[in-house]
Amino acid sequence: MNDMPKTARILLVDDDQELGHMLSDFLAADRLHVTVCNTGEDGVETFAADDFDLLILDIMLPGMSGLDVLKKIRPQSQVPIIMLTARGDDIDRIIGLEFGADDYLPKPFNPRELLARIKAILRRAQPQENDKRHWKLGGIELDTRTHRATVDGKFMQLTGSEFEILKSLLETPGEVVSKEQLSERALGRRLLPYDRSIDTHVSNLRGKLERAGNKNETIQNQRGVGYLLIPGS
Amino acid sequence: MRSLLLKIFLSFWLIIVVTFATAGVAGFLYAESMRDAMESFEVGDSMLAASAALEAGGREGLADWIRSNPASRAITLFILDERGHDILDRQVPFGLSRAFRRHREHPRRHEFAGTDPRNLRRARPHPQLVAADGSVYTFFVAPSRASQAVWTAADARWLLFFIALVVSGTVSWFLASAISAPVRNLRDATVALAGGDLAVRVAESVGKRRDELGMLGRDFDSMAENLQGAATRQTELSRNISHELRSPLARMRVAIELAKQKSGDLPEFERLDNEAERIDGLIGQILSYTKLDASPESGPEPIDLAGLIREVVENVNYECKAEGIDGVSVAAQIDATPTIPGHAGAMISAIENIVRNAVHHSPPDSEVEVHLNQHDQIALIEIRDSGPGVDEAELPRLFEPFFRTRASAESKDARGSGLGLAIAERAVSINGGSISALNHADGGLLVRISLPL
Repeated sequence: MNDMPKTARILLVDDDQELGHMLSDFLAADRLHVTVCNTGEDGVETFAADDFDLLILDIMLPGMSGLDVLKKIRPQSQVPIIMLTARGDDIDRIIGLEFGADDYLPKPFNPRELLARIKAILRRAQPQENDKRHWKLGGIELDTRTHRATVDGKFMQLTGSEFEILKSLLETPGEVVSKEQLSERALGRRLLPYDRSIDTHVSNLRGKLERAGNKNETIQNQRGVGYLLIPGS
Repeated sequence: MRSLLLKIFLSFWLIIVVTFATAGVAGFLYAESMRDAMESFEVGDSMLAASAALEAGGREGLADWIRSNPASRAITLFILDERGHDILDRQVPFGLSRAFRRHREHPRRHEFAGTDPRNLRRARPHPQLVAADGSVYTFFVAPSRASQAVWTAADARWLLFFIALVVSGTVSWFLASAISAPVRNLRDATVALAGGDLAVRVAESVGKRRDELGMLGRDFDSMAENLQGAATRQTELSRNISHELRSPLARMRVAIELAKQKSGDLPEFERLDNEAERIDGLIGQILSYTKLDASPESGPEPIDLAGLIREVVENVNYECKAEGIDGVSVAAQIDATPTIPGHAGAMISAIENIVRNAVHHSPPDSEVEVHLNQHDQIALIEIRDSGPGVDEAELPRLFEPFFRTRASAESKDARGSGLGLAIAERAVSINGGSISALNHADGGLLVRISLPL
């Protein structure tokens, strides 16, 4: 992975101490430095005190839940966040994404799968050399270097996934981008069966565009295919 | 159930009708005896005593005599003076006063002293007494009020019998239903309980009664309560066990990866990984099975079955490729586009589990067919494979948790958890449908899901 950062700092919030330490050993081999917190409160504090490239949050935490941590951190930081959910609890999956998590992984997971997701999200967060720097359509403007999104000059706060989705749609206005493509680009992974994460991210993105005052451009759903951005008239 | 209602009803009715009939016959006999008594009554027999009373006490004496000698229960003896007044000042029946007038005008003619010949005895000369002062007292024999009533009743006996029949029938029916309704309610509840609805209670319908049936109803409720509690505890237990197994499993999987990092990729690690994956899948299935056992979290919403089937077929095809299953493909044949009310998640897992099961039992390079159709108010989903089918005797047990057919047990085919079809059965039943399996005439297993629209 030549486009990976040399080292990345990860904050893992999980009440299973042993698992945390083993994961930190496992990820260390890929030059990922993991700090483990066992409670949500501890996680919020540690996150505020230090700089992290990625946050991994277990939803099931005693006391302050992973979701509470997400809600607390997300308004202040655009750091990529992966949620660890209990397998089969579909409600948790969606709720995590709705509150701005980038991706989720059902627990227990294959550690290699976790590693792949971490890498995908970190790679995405790295601006590519040959990337076009500026994207503009109507009032919407994206700067890929600074990861800034503006609507009519006003700053709009987007998560990494939302930014990537908007960028993909901006590249080909009026053309359908498949959900598979969006998943590869925004989450760095294949779309899974019954995977609603792209739909959830798009729905969040729509809400943010609307609140930012964008009325002309609309994101349309092409059922069963994907999404397209309709330029304003 | 029906016969209990009928038995009670008929017994009540019979008892009431027999009682009525007995009373009727007794009344009829009584009426006849009254008539006989009146027929045979002869005023002449007492004329001597009456005459003596008149002689001794005049009009008053005659009045005293008649007061102290009531003729009989069947008749009333009227003694009228010349003006037609009864000497006891009793109200003279209309028929009688008319007879009196005619008698006064034509003393020789004897008529019926009434309009209905049966209500008065045959006319005979009405005896008369002449007092010392020359006033004439005429004796009239009329039926008493009691015998008039009895005769009227006897005349109308068929009408009365009919009314009694209708009234007693109605009353008996209500009585019988009042007794059998709670029994029927209890039976319905028992059937529902046996059918797996552990939440059924009869407190509302039967439990409020203060009688033995009410006690039985309350006992039924506490039995159902205990059963439900036990079932819930068991479900919770397996759910908790499954959840608790996940933490060590998660650690185990990281440990395997750490071991790989330290000592290189040994083939045993691959095996460990696969087994961990399998345990994980099994736990997931147990969890989704126990989740289906609990009541669904949200109400039913419209499900587009055609879209849902296409999605499932696409995903299973994707899995087939990913798992490297030889050339088995799944095809959807959509002949109708019914929408049913239900729980989409449960419906997906039902169809998915059946289709997966079909894929696992399919020979290489064959096709699994998913067919959606609609008959009247029923949506039909049929999933058919070209596998060996299932022994007829084992078909009914196919949907039991962890049931393995003898064929698959012998082949040591470890694919599938043994819960797939059980999950499908539960998922279909919480959507109000039914599921069945049969061997197709042209080979292969056919699983049929019927869902009410």
